[in-house]
Amino acid sequence: MSVGHVARAMEDSGIATVVIASGVFSDRMTAMHLPRLVLTDFPMGRPLGAPNDNKTQREVLLAALDLIDHAKQGGSIQIFNGNYRPGNE
Amino acid sequence: MTEETISQFKKSFNYGSRSDMNYKFLNELSDEAVATFLQELLWKLGDTLDDGDLERIFKHIYQYQQKGYAGSGRFSYAASAFTKIERPKNEMRFALIASTGHFVRGQDPKPFGVEDMSQNQAEERITEFLRLEPELSSIPTNTPPDQLMVRHGGYDVRGAIKDHNVNFPIDRLNELAAEGLIGEFSSPAYSFVGACSQMRLQNHALPRWIEKIHSELIDGLILVPV
Repeated sequence: MSVGHVARAMEDSGIATVVIASGVFSDRMTAMHLPRLVLTDFPMGRPLGAPNDNKTQREVLLAALDLIDHAKQGGSIQIFNGNYRPGNE
Repeated sequence: MTEETISQFKKSFNYGSRSDMNYKFLNELSDEAVATFLQELLWKLGDTLDDGDLERIFKHIYQYQQKGYAGSGRFSYAASAFTKIERPKNEMRFALIASTGHFVRGQDPKPFGVEDMSQNQAEERITEFLRLEPELSSIPTNTPPDQLMVRHGGYDVRGAIKDHNVNFPIDRLNELAAEGLIGEFSSPAYSFVGACSQMRLQNHALPRWIEKIHSELIDGLILVPV
């Protein structure tokens, strides 16, 4: 939950934040009421997707940037649905 | 030979004799749920033997990890600050902070003064890590993959060793900056071991980190927990 505390404190200091987390922690991350949160359905330790799945990793980051652009209030959550595809270069 | 109960079996994955960060969540499940997880896993593997489709295995592991970590945990807040964005993202300067335990080869933060601590040693000392003030490692965003190290006693780092972008996406962010989709990706990026004292993080480390990030004129932070 360390990153949740980093997000809350950084945002409080005036810096916009977006957290990208594996959805296995969705209850815990949601409970922290983060300013902007992207939840992916990828396993623990690999929140942006599988190793060498460059395309999905990029799409997850674009979803996070989209939330930076469009979120209007704290607690904004975007669910990223994608397949976990190792080696999808 | 002594019979092993399911309860003993599931505990062994959580920093025990079968310590495995991917499956330490088993210890959070009931004995019945552990039995169901294994039974369903084996059944699905049978299907995969016939069609080679691994997707059902990935989903099964994900779903049970989620069951293991269900519940709101120790920290619950009703609201948060919210910084309004004044500029489009292609004019913003972004930085990355991840709780992944990455560091540059030759700049090992040496937790507890230990030289070349292994992943196994980090797992063995997880309780001590959880009392420690976290330390930020600075990582130039052009660091070659073979110079980027990772060690963290709380998660399975094998995916990150194969490709750091699974949780420390410096290559993808460099690409987005080169394409002009973000204004700038600030160097260095930062990593720390997220398994740390939350009190020391909030009271001691974060005030310094906030000062550092402001001094680098960062507009937006990409944050990645593991």
